[in-house]
Amino acid sequence: MLLPKFNFYEPKTQGEALSIMNEYGLKAKLIAGGTDLLANMKRKLLSPDALVGISEIEEFKNLEISDKTIKIGSCFTVSAIAESAVIEKKISALAVGARALGTPLIRNLATIGGNLGSARPAADIPPSLIAYNAKAVLKSVSGERTVLLDKFFKGPGFTEIQPNEILTEIIIDIPDGYYGAGYINLGIRKAQDCNIVNVASFVSLDEPNGVINSARIVMGCVGPTHLRANAAENILIGNKPSEKLFQEAAKIAESECKPIDDFRASAVYKKAMIRVLTKRTLDIAVKEASLK
Amino acid sequence: MKQIINLTINDKKYEVAVDANLTLLDLLRYQLGLTGAKKGCELGDCGACAVIMDGKPVNSCLVLAVQANGKNITTIEGVEDENGLHPLQKAFVEKGAIQCGFCTSGMILSGKTLLDKKPNPTETEIKSAISGNLCRCTGYQKIIEAVQSVSCEG
Repeated sequence: MLLPKFNFYEPKTQGEALSIMNEYGLKAKLIAGGTDLLANMKRKLLSPDALVGISEIEEFKNLEISDKTIKIGSCFTVSAIAESAVIEKKISALAVGARALGTPLIRNLATIGGNLGSARPAADIPPSLIAYNAKAVLKSVSGERTVLLDKFFKGPGFTEIQPNEILTEIIIDIPDGYYGAGYINLGIRKAQDCNIVNVASFVSLDEPNGVINSARIVMGCVGPTHLRANAAENILIGNKPSEKLFQEAAKIAESECKPIDDFRASAVYKKAMIRVLTKRTLDIAVKEASLK
Repeated sequence: MKQIINLTINDKKYEVAVDANLTLLDLLRYQLGLTGAKKGCELGDCGACAVIMDGKPVNSCLVLAVQANGKNITTIEGVEDENGLHPLQKAFVEKGAIQCGFCTSGMILSGKTLLDKKPNPTETEIKSAISGNLCRCTGYQKIIEAVQSVSCEG
């Protein structure tokens, strides 16, 4: 399988990368891990005039941790996320998602920015990040803007990123107090598999064993982009976690998702599994929150 | 237009001129004659093309040769030393973990990376470490036993 011909640029700095993207726009594609892009180019689905390699630019590879925020550079690899002790401690659901992605060989190449930029509705990284209310930083020669990941995805393969922009980092504000999140992906196999459905849930409590003061439930593979279960979230807020409450929320989430029948599973099955995974991820989230 | 890249493969330094659309796998196999890394699916599914790049096993079919500039690569050809085969290579032979042999180099490189990091892995850890390497002969049990046998000796 041959790759189509292209020019390869390897900018040394962020500024250089931004000016190349400004010049080429739609004719160029950024490449970091390349696990998605090169496979699509070999399948002749894409044939950009230029590839711009950004995986060696130091500022894109940083993991910056402070008391209040975690900043992950867009070229930080998925295996590095899976192995990071701080990510495991502060935002464990992201580490769970990272460990579920592809295979060890893929995870060593694949990057967080690539997983977001490729915008697959079944991707393993976005649900947890949306559940943590993460933001993406998009830069261009004319400036930078920050987009909430919840508003970032526009459809399969489409995002908020403009042709002259680069996704440079992901920012997660560490929530105050007692919070937790769970992520579960369901597939036929444990590795190298496309998810049938995946769910990430986040809750924060006003005190250990207290009432829920914020909740986010993110459902994957059941719409053109990841969907929020808004009504399910609303019934959680102001209530104490309980078996009955979570079953109720899971039922509502089931009614909020819009899966299609495909060769992976029927829509009916996917809906039922959204219910099961919503309940289970809420259980994980509350357990983690009460331990904080 | 060809680009000049410098990389280290099995402790030997190379300077080669490559096309931008050449993969690391094709560079190894067709320009450098290192055919230990196999060409399977070419899409990152099978792991037959695995090589160790800067200490981590990766699918060389999904790395551009130009992206391997400055990297340190180990292929299956670089696993044995002056004393002969690596203990894991010997174990694969002794335990019958090689059938057709097409997945073997990738399996050994994934297994070796795990053993270098964790000399006594659990069965689950072994299974997870080789989860990106497919064996179409389905000889997984013997492969897992081969990795286990080295960890017990170690």
